[in-house]
Amino acid sequence: MSLPLHYVNVLTGLKGCRVIEDPQALGKIIKKSERPLLVFGPRCPDIFLNGRYAIEYGVDIVKAIGAATCATACTKKKLMEYGILPDSTYDIIEIINHLKDPDWKGVKKQGNHDLVMFLGVRTDLGNQGLSTLKHYAPHLKTVTLCPYVYPHATFSLANLKADKWKEYLEGLIQSLKS
Amino acid sequence: MSKGKAKSEEINETIRSEDNWEPVGPTPMPEMSDLRRWDLRLLKTYKPFYSPFCDLCCFCTYGKCDLTGDNKGACGINISGQQGRWALMFALMGCSAHGAHGRHLIDYLIDKYGEDYKIDLGGQVAVEAPHMRTVMGLKPETLGDLRKGIEYVERGIIHGVSATHMGQEGSNIDFESKSLHIGMLDHVAMEVADIAQTIGFKFPTSVAETPLAGLGWGSVDKSKPVVTCVGHNAAVATVMIDHFMKMGTYDQVEVTGICCTAIDNTRYSDKTKIIGPLSKQLFFLRTGIADLIITDEQCVRCDIPDLARATGSALIATSDKISYGLDDVTHKEIDEIVRLITQEGKQVLIRDVDKAGEVAAKVLPIVAKGRKKEITTKEKAQELAKECKACGLCDRVCPNLLNISAATSDVRDGKFEKMADLFAKCIGCGKCEQECPKSIPIITTMQAAASWDTFNIRVGRGPIHDVEIRKVGMPIVLGTIPGIIAIVGCSNYPEEIEEIAEIAEEFAKRKYIVVLSGCAAMAAGMKKDAEGKTIYEKFKPDFDAGGVLNVGSCVANSHITGAAMKVANIFAKLPLRANYEVIADYILNRVGAVGLAWGAYSQKAFSIGTGCNRMGIPVVLGPHSAKYRRLYLSRKEEDDWTVMDGRKKELINTEEPSPEHLSIVVESKERAIITMAKLCIRKNDTAQGRQLKLNHYISLYKQHMGTLPDDLQNFVRNDKDIPIVYKKEVAEYLKSVGWKPKPLLTLPTLIGTYESNIPIDAVVR
Repeated sequence: MSLPLHYVNVLTGLKGCRVIEDPQALGKIIKKSERPLLVFGPRCPDIFLNGRYAIEYGVDIVKAIGAATCATACTKKKLMEYGILPDSTYDIIEIINHLKDPDWKGVKKQGNHDLVMFLGVRTDLGNQGLSTLKHYAPHLKTVTLCPYVYPHATFSLANLKADKWKEYLEGLIQSLKS
Repeated sequence: MSKGKAKSEEINETIRSEDNWEPVGPTPMPEMSDLRRWDLRLLKTYKPFYSPFCDLCCFCTYGKCDLTGDNKGACGINISGQQGRWALMFALMGCSAHGAHGRHLIDYLIDKYGEDYKIDLGGQVAVEAPHMRTVMGLKPETLGDLRKGIEYVERGIIHGVSATHMGQEGSNIDFESKSLHIGMLDHVAMEVADIAQTIGFKFPTSVAETPLAGLGWGSVDKSKPVVTCVGHNAAVATVMIDHFMKMGTYDQVEVTGICCTAIDNTRYSDKTKIIGPLSKQLFFLRTGIADLIITDEQCVRCDIPDLARATGSALIATSDKISYGLDDVTHKEIDEIVRLITQEGKQVLIRDVDKAGEVAAKVLPIVAKGRKKEITTKEKAQELAKECKACGLCDRVCPNLLNISAATSDVRDGKFEKMADLFAKCIGCGKCEQECPKSIPIITTMQAAASWDTFNIRVGRGPIHDVEIRKVGMPIVLGTIPGIIAIVGCSNYPEEIEEIAEIAEEFAKRKYIVVLSGCAAMAAGMKKDAEGKTIYEKFKPDFDAGGVLNVGSCVANSHITGAAMKVANIFAKLPLRANYEVIADYILNRVGAVGLAWGAYSQKAFSIGTGCNRMGIPVVLGPHSAKYRRLYLSRKEEDDWTVMDGRKKELINTEEPSPEHLSIVVESKERAIITMAKLCIRKNDTAQGRQLKLNHYISLYKQHMGTLPDDLQNFVRNDKDIPIVYKKEVAEYLKSVGWKPKPLLTLPTLIGTYESNIPIDAVVR
């Protein structure tokens, strides 16, 4: 099992994530989803990746596959600046609480999501939330798009340096568009 | 077991049931399951939300057991049951810490003054102990009565601990009910402890405008002998200060403190200084400014003997909870102990309050003599950091996810700006140093980057006055004072410490009542405006709209929740006596109070929050608190929000999720502010009050999110609720989402929505 970047906040367990090192492979997994959701955390407007903010990559992913969106914390305002009116504005714990329920109607009221992507959430909080989903939401797959191993996710990126992460996100978007 | 005749007689005797200050209510001295039906009703709406730390249970020799998926442990427990068990254990630890503190104070004070020593909280506080009155049914009159309170809490703790044993409770819901019970007992324990120290040490009471005291590590005059008290029990410090006064040397020494002992020291003498919250403990002790360190109990670092040795500070441990493996010299003569400390350099344990206080006063001038107290200079810090290779290992162990390597490598290069920013966010654990392959003392280098400014804090005032409750009771219940914001708890903040002052000021400016305690009260004082004023100098210290007040240390939190009880009692005339369910129901539905524990880390904070939840007060927590692993969340508009209209005796589906959650973690300061404004909404709000609350909710939401709240339709009952300034905009929005008016209530209550012995009429006054 790969260790997360902030290993101080993570304890191991029996069920760990699958680290997907190839963005094309992750693209295929995401494309198989019928009702994907991308959850934007408050850190994605602040993370700058050599010319673009992480939130812009999130927006590209949403546009590439028509994913539903959830803005947590106060990310809604920023998303609107990038031309996206999020489908929902829960805080991170609230959206996770809803996602636990297989019968929830989802942020678009079309049924619960089958795959949820997270971008820009604090690693400690994100990991706790993913633990909830690992234990209480077997009906959905979770994907983390931040450059850290998230052991409780279904699919996670490896611990990546900024340039490699940027490369990965660009590869993923290309894959989703193809 | 249900109560038999003998047990009932024992309770009647304990609470002096024949006293007729109020009739004895339905639940005098409730046992662990006596309020279970209330808990289950709360938990039906606010379901436990769990975030397990790990997949296993490792509690007994059957295990380790895999609890993932549908798996159960060898004993039959599942993952939810195990999380519930953790929650109960946290609550028990927290309650025990306050309870043991209270027990220690009472035993000490009874020894000093006798058990008939009267409780007198001054002319402004007639309802002296709302928790003891409401939970136990006892109106305490003496120290001996306070001891009854602690004995009651101790009995509850035994049963609670017992339930965590292998092969006992298995249901997560019942674990939660027990947690709620223990949380309730915690507020009794805190109340007992704070009343005891208030009367025993003559802390301020019945006065709102208490003096200002010095705050911040920069406020310490290091040219004098400095003693630093660390922990939560001020008993030893009070004796020590008395000795300094008796010896005529008080002006020649600096009595300082970290954490709640510091807060309570200022209540004893406003000449003492508060260094700061727990997050600055390692930083300050590392400076060596303290010539003598006195430890008592709770939130004290486990490595203080090592820290003291490294800096040459003398150390006296005074609590049997923290003995550090030191020689117990309690039985020795004072002169001999002084000799051991000053001549042999021994660190000692003294378990006698009076002896410890006297020894401390005697050794301080001696151990201070000749000590050099030099703060790390920029040049020295650069030297210490010269080996930094920016490898990033320190970043990976930082619980606050800080970029330590960038700051340290900057220090190496003689640049201190990043380290100054880092210091403002540092929670002071020191894990970075431990991980550093070059053993760079990162926390020490912070001395060169930190601000050494001085601040002010208002001395903790103790209970809220009955006359204040009379004044604000009606506007709180009607909603025209938009809410009580209680900012409490520890200093495990996700961002800068200044966020606490910013949050407090946001609400004070909006005319909420802002109440602070403990480390949060210190943090709130650590920001100055352009004129150099802290929040305590800018806002009035009254329990009134726009007031900012510090009630005191952790145990004074009971006065905040006690104030909500007093609203039910003094304003609404509901009897408190053994009437917990009715009072909690009143608070849940009518008192717009919300707690914020932005940096909660301790089990005590968990327990306090859980106690708030049982009495209907929602709590907002910072991101680190997700590690508590349990929250109480509703499903918002998707849940059933049916309540009883107490006057009409009709069940009504209000369709209104208020308060929306009982315990929730949020990600950012801005989101916390928005969430708190929303959580102040109560079903009982008048149209005028609701307008005001929505006005704040909308304006905050628009400020930080850019639009109207997308759940606004949940909180507008009819046109009259819409704030005038947003009338047109809101009306258009409501039309666009198909909003329809909601039923109006005359007296919302949960009583009558579940099986209970409480008649609906009990809530009508």
